[in-house]
Amino acid sequence: MKISKLLLGAAGLALVAGLAQAGSHLQDTSGKRIALSNNYAGNSWRQAMLQSWEEAAGAAVADGVVAAADAFTTSENQATEQAAQIQNMILQGYDAIVINAASPTALNGAVKEACDAGVTVVSFDGIVSEPCAWRIAVDFAAMGKEEVDYLATRLPDGGNLLEIRGLAGVFVDDEISAGIHAGVAEHDQFKIVGSVHGDWAQDVAQKAVAGILPSLPDVVGVVTQGGDGYGAAQAFKAAGRPTPLIVLGNRQDEMQWWADQRDANGYETLSLSIAPGVSTLAFWVAQQVLAGEEVPKDLTVPFLKITQDTLDEKLAGTPVGSVANVMYALEDAQAVIAGAK
Amino acid sequence: MILLRKPWIWSWAAAALTFALTIALTSGRGGSELAYAALSFGAFAAIVGLGQMLVITLGPGNVDLSIPATMTLSATLALKVMASEPGTAFLGLVIALAVGFGAGLANFALIFLLRLPPIIATLAASLIYQSLAIWSNRGLRIKPPEPLADFATGRFLGLPNVAWVGLTLAVAVWIILERSVWGRWLLATGQNMRAARLAGVPVERVRATTYVTVATFAGLAGYLLASFSGGAALNMGAEYLLMSIAVVVIGGSSIAGGDSNVPGVWGAALFMFLVVSMLNSYGAGAGVRNVLTGTIVIAIVIAASTRRLRP
Repeated sequence: MKISKLLLGAAGLALVAGLAQAGSHLQDTSGKRIALSNNYAGNSWRQAMLQSWEEAAGAAVADGVVAAADAFTTSENQATEQAAQIQNMILQGYDAIVINAASPTALNGAVKEACDAGVTVVSFDGIVSEPCAWRIAVDFAAMGKEEVDYLATRLPDGGNLLEIRGLAGVFVDDEISAGIHAGVAEHDQFKIVGSVHGDWAQDVAQKAVAGILPSLPDVVGVVTQGGDGYGAAQAFKAAGRPTPLIVLGNRQDEMQWWADQRDANGYETLSLSIAPGVSTLAFWVAQQVLAGEEVPKDLTVPFLKITQDTLDEKLAGTPVGSVANVMYALEDAQAVIAGAK
Repeated sequence: MILLRKPWIWSWAAAALTFALTIALTSGRGGSELAYAALSFGAFAAIVGLGQMLVITLGPGNVDLSIPATMTLSATLALKVMASEPGTAFLGLVIALAVGFGAGLANFALIFLLRLPPIIATLAASLIYQSLAIWSNRGLRIKPPEPLADFATGRFLGLPNVAWVGLTLAVAVWIILERSVWGRWLLATGQNMRAARLAGVPVERVRATTYVTVATFAGLAGYLLASFSGGAALNMGAEYLLMSIAVVVIGGSSIAGGDSNVPGVWGAALFMFLVVSMLNSYGAGAGVRNVLTGTIVIAIVIAASTRRLRP
């Protein structure tokens, strides 16, 4: 009786594990524990990212794919604090640590310690440069260039552009901006006449744009980094200027504004950003590494693009005040891994 | 020359100079636009700056570092309760002020009952307020009701409505400081707490009301800022931590306490907006901008404080 129960249980486990493995060479990860080390939670994108993790990782734990998938966020967005957090995770015996890092270099010491202790480290969004870790990066420069390419198709005659940058000193800001400037170099009918830092926040962007607008000539387009388009639109409105072509960043308030403008006067634009669900991709990649899959160290995640045609569908699927999202499943992770091989 | 001896004149002079330099770039065009924007955005810095000024006046070690979190929490809760429904603006205001009031009481309770230094107490409390804001709405941006948004971005007699609110508060604070017994108590406490206590000033009551006032101002600023910019965001208060202290110092109030300066706070609030606008307009990169802003701020503080040495 006892033995048959055990056998049944083992068979059940094997079945569940088999679902997750989708291949014969992979090992069972049902006993493995994964931790998320996150450096910042203070904006809607990060909140959506954490929520995506909770949903996907929570479901994976319930299905028995992994034993635990706990999320931890540091309170002060400091690299030293996050390094200490990673060291705690090593001591707690996690098998894998998924990191959204405060700095690409400052955590390398702690990451190396984790690798040396046999812990799998997967970084995403804010990636780490330590070679032993996996990196799920976004091609931010391509994102910036795509904005200008799009403007070139819409405004073949070119004109003056206003650039809204992100948080000064963060490498994502430098990357996107470099891409934008590369795009402008290619499409030389455009000229960037002003550049401000909007810190990826609507109110900061609104303030910065309101301050520089009086000194600017006519502006035909605004290139942004996400989370700043609505604020820019408000500043143009307050200054009594015509609304230029503003490239948006997938925030719900931006998409709502876009839909309202479209209904009122046929406004057309493009919106692009990374989906906060990239955390779920990182989760599945970590699971695959633990399962023994051979995963290249550098993976690229596509950005989420919303066009005039997909606006209504995406807007309907995004909670009020949040960010357009994509949840990645195991198959998506396997596709990304296969694509990088 | 008597005007030059006023510590607040330096922040106003700096604001006027940066304004002129920005406008020089466009040969005079866009001056009214820029002034209007400076008054709009300066108002938020002025409101929190007035509160911070009162706390700093209490004497060395007194500062409220929970202003950003209090702004975020009160704005988040107010906008959540209003849920974009028209006719709820007043209810939202009451909630924002009540949250601010509660945060102020909590701050003072930590300082008074646990004898924590104000820097530690308000910093620790701010983590709690920020977490409450995250927990209550998970960072979702809810739009303010239409009439409230129109009010926050609207104008009256050519000036932004938010600037009227800020100016009214400034006048009220000035009258209280200069003409009321409580204001005298506050200054006496800041100059020498022990002497003030021995002279019969209810020092702890003065401190309590001051910490409650600054938090209530922060609640009001958060409510207005969220209504102005189309919703509360979790990081909306971030830049007002250093801003609130900077406008007090640049405005000519003594960082050692006991000497406050209401007009200077407004001058400094306008300056802080204008200097960033000026450097942006001249195309300065982020690094240059930060270095220049820091240098200019130090220069003004030195100018304002050397004047004070010979009254």
